[in-house]
Amino acid sequence: MKKVAALATLLFFLNASVILAYTSPGKPQGFVNDFADILTTQVEQDLELKLEQIKLSSSNEIAVVTIKSLEDETIDTYAVKLFEEWGIGNKEKDNGVLLLVAPIERKVRIEVGYGLEGVLTDAQSSSIVRNIILPDFKDGEMESGVISGVESIISVINEGADFASIDDTSVLGKGNTILDFLNQFPPFILVVVFGIAVNYLAKSKSWWLGGVWGGALGLVIGFITSSLLIGGSVGIVLVLFGLLIDYLASKGHINRNGRGWGGGWGGGSRGGGGGGSSFGGGSSGGGGSSGSW
Amino acid sequence: MSKKILIGVIAIVVVLSAYVFTTYNSLVKLSIDTDTQWKQVEVGYQRRFDLIPNLVESVKGIMKQETSVFTAIADARTKYAGASTPDAKAQAAGQVESALGRLLVITENYPQLKSSDTVQTLMSQLEGAENRISVERSRFNESARLYNLKVKQVPSSIIASMFGFEEKAYFEATAGSEVAPKVQF
Repeated sequence: MKKVAALATLLFFLNASVILAYTSPGKPQGFVNDFADILTTQVEQDLELKLEQIKLSSSNEIAVVTIKSLEDETIDTYAVKLFEEWGIGNKEKDNGVLLLVAPIERKVRIEVGYGLEGVLTDAQSSSIVRNIILPDFKDGEMESGVISGVESIISVINEGADFASIDDTSVLGKGNTILDFLNQFPPFILVVVFGIAVNYLAKSKSWWLGGVWGGALGLVIGFITSSLLIGGSVGIVLVLFGLLIDYLASKGHINRNGRGWGGGWGGGSRGGGGGGSSFGGGSSGGGGSSGSW
Repeated sequence: MSKKILIGVIAIVVVLSAYVFTTYNSLVKLSIDTDTQWKQVEVGYQRRFDLIPNLVESVKGIMKQETSVFTAIADARTKYAGASTPDAKAQAAGQVESALGRLLVITENYPQLKSSDTVQTLMSQLEGAENRISVERSRFNESARLYNLKVKQVPSSIIASMFGFEEKAYFEATAGSEVAPKVQF
């Protein structure tokens, strides 16, 4: 067990990902996130309501975000990274728009998801920024700049409203489905292996072999998921569980087919996506326009 | 006793082959991801090239004496069109960048251009194209980094060399092109 833990730790450090310089402003709370606190509660609620309706009617997701600081990023890169982190827009349609305001640095950007680049072109977002948002911001009218900016974005993407021609048939995934399928090591394979294992363990005389198998299985899962958390904890649980199963099996308490035990396996698959996000996982690639005042 | 050894061997073989199998697959996946991301960079380049003729057309009339810039842009475009390897393409794209940068700087000296709506629209499109390129480039570098990590780190490096996975080159900005041309009106 110590070895399992040590190996799992080693694996964890081998696979630890590098943390990027960008610091997230936090988790999204709806469509309007006023981290810099330049909007009144009333305006926030009105915008939130409006953007919810837009999502319901057109599935477009428009996020309005004000931030306290860009840290050392430019607004262009910050917008891309925030967009990426929150996944604004539908995953298949990439139909998100981010209106990002950094009042301290006096910078604003409209970042457009891939799917809306054809409708809300750079020229259009540039003209919204220059002619609609910036004049208000220059006068210190932050709220009205944000509101009219959002309204302009809505009017642009709803005028060309017929962009829904992107088909939704690709939900099952874009890559090689068989490989994906095997890579995820679906629960039923585990159940089959488990059944065979119990069958064998019941025949064998030893009481500890199940523990060894459990540890090996934990290692495999650790390798596959490349995670200390999953590999280590599953490994430890499986060693104990294996010992228990072997004990019971050797004593003949479990039916040799092991069927009665299959049902409990299946909860272990890896959940995807960030928790608590109200956005659909869309992405952008630097489309849009920035301005400063 | 020999049965236990046999089972131990089988267990090790199962673990090892599961590891080889998943590592090979993730190498393939990372490699394809990186190639796909490079295509995105090329899409960005193409977008920029499509904008250049319009931009050149709309400023040429007024900037008659600046012929050297226009020839530089035309040369770099031809070079890019003839480039086949990613390296050559990246290099040619770097030349286009520096030529465009010069054009934009020169444009600053022509107030009549700054106030033109057409030019301003073209400039905002060019800005967008440049920004897209830089986004896709950094994503390319990120996916190449993930792939290279897997190729070089022990123990996955053993499998990588077994199956001939080679390190991929990062996109490095060519001299003078690190700074995207600033468009300021």
